[in-house]
Amino acid sequence: MSRDPRYSPEVQRRMCELPCAGRLDGDDRCVRGRAGDPEQGASVSLELRVLGKRVSEARFQAFGCPHLIAAASWLCERLTGAERAELSGWDWQEVADALEVPPAKYGRLLVLQDALRNAARNWSAAPVSTV
Amino acid sequence: MSNPVYLDNAATTPLDPRVLEAMLECMRLDGDYANPSSIAHAPGRSARERVERARTEVAELVGVSADQVIWTSGATEANNLALFGAARYYRERGCHIVTSRTEHPAVLDPCRHLQREGFEVSFLEPGASGIVQPDQVAEALRPDTILVSLMHVNNETGVIQDVGAVGRLCRERGILLHVDAAQSAGKIEIDANEECIDLLSLTAHKLYGPKGIGALCVRREPRIGLVPLFFGGGQERGLRSGTLPTHQIVGMGAAYRIAASEMTQESPRIRALRDRLWKGLQVLPGLELNGDPHRRVPGMLNLSIDGVEGESLLFMLSNLAVASGSACASLNSEPSYVLRALGRSDRLAQSSLRLSLGRFTSEQDIEIALQSIIRGVERLRAIAPSSSAES
Repeated sequence: MSRDPRYSPEVQRRMCELPCAGRLDGDDRCVRGRAGDPEQGASVSLELRVLGKRVSEARFQAFGCPHLIAAASWLCERLTGAERAELSGWDWQEVADALEVPPAKYGRLLVLQDALRNAARNWSAAPVSTV
Repeated sequence: MSNPVYLDNAATTPLDPRVLEAMLECMRLDGDYANPSSIAHAPGRSARERVERARTEVAELVGVSADQVIWTSGATEANNLALFGAARYYRERGCHIVTSRTEHPAVLDPCRHLQREGFEVSFLEPGASGIVQPDQVAEALRPDTILVSLMHVNNETGVIQDVGAVGRLCRERGILLHVDAAQSAGKIEIDANEECIDLLSLTAHKLYGPKGIGALCVRREPRIGLVPLFFGGGQERGLRSGTLPTHQIVGMGAAYRIAASEMTQESPRIRALRDRLWKGLQVLPGLELNGDPHRRVPGMLNLSIDGVEGESLLFMLSNLAVASGSACASLNSEPSYVLRALGRSDRLAQSSLRLSLGRFTSEQDIEIALQSIIRGVERLRAIAPSSSAES
């Protein structure tokens, strides 16, 4: 059967396995970021567990196309070890290159970027674990 | 990995092996490969006989006489010939055309081109059921209306239009009725002369025949005038020049003959499979059927699934060959204009699936489809953000 040329192998793998999908169970203190609207075809919610000054774990929930879901999955892995400043400075082009996202889908990645920046803003307000 | 379960019969059907055999008889060295216009020699006359037999087979399925059938390359060309041909021929009589917003692009695009030529086109809005009421057509007619074009069965929803009622009111007023029957011929009964249809577009590849062949049935009594699209050899009474593709025509004839003899047994079987599919999907909350629940062809199920995005759902259904109203599934960037015309939101149009069953769909196919759709929807809903999540 022919491979679907619309999706890179990495997008396909992430859509099949959905790594980092879901929520950080039972952690009320995690940092959250959210952007988008299902009515517009894309919505992302991020949850980050922070230890000290760094992200120790990240999870996502997403409504959108395979590129957006795979990008959210990729970003959650990328965020492990990141500091707050990296969150606000992150640019969607990084994941576009990594996953070979076509230009027509760049707008969806902006939703992901917005969700991350929303998380960065919420970080300072959230109670953070020190252990 | 095994081949996907094929549930996209509204897009095209596989070739019936019996049709293939009939076609091969025209393609071998000892077969009827000669030009059917070359009646000066025996091979040409033999090919001509096969073409004329096929013409009769097609005519008998749709209630016209063989001399009404004009071969075309498919329904798209038949629609273009009907619309451009009739509009340009009858231009001095009037310049108003009536059609609906849910027609196939092979009707809508010619209508838009005709607007540029100075014709006025009224695009009727169907209700939420997808049905254009005959009263709507009656209200749209004007003294200068020359043509009404309405599809018999919608290619996305499977909804059946009451073309007979529209045909009668057009006939009373001396207005031509063109019907695109690409999705209905061989699936439901159609009698073009009885239903006062003046121009009827047909295709082979939606009925287990080959791609690249179709027909336009043109009323003969009284004769309808058409301006041809092609000029050349004068085949098909000058309405469609070009060498006749004998093997394609024979394939279409065989497909229509088989449909005529098997439709009454085939339709209930396919309807039962479709109903099994719809019933099995009811375990999923948030399903909506698109189009009238009763007036639709047996093999079509179009549904919107709330809470999932269409492109991702199609990705999850990689073991199924299905169609979607999602923008990603079409060649343009818009969600289904048909579903939007029925009042569906962009979001529901994006999350729609068209499952179209056919002659070769099995019970096992339906069980595989059920499992795949339920699993795919549940996976996507599980990772979707809840509307009440904190930000």
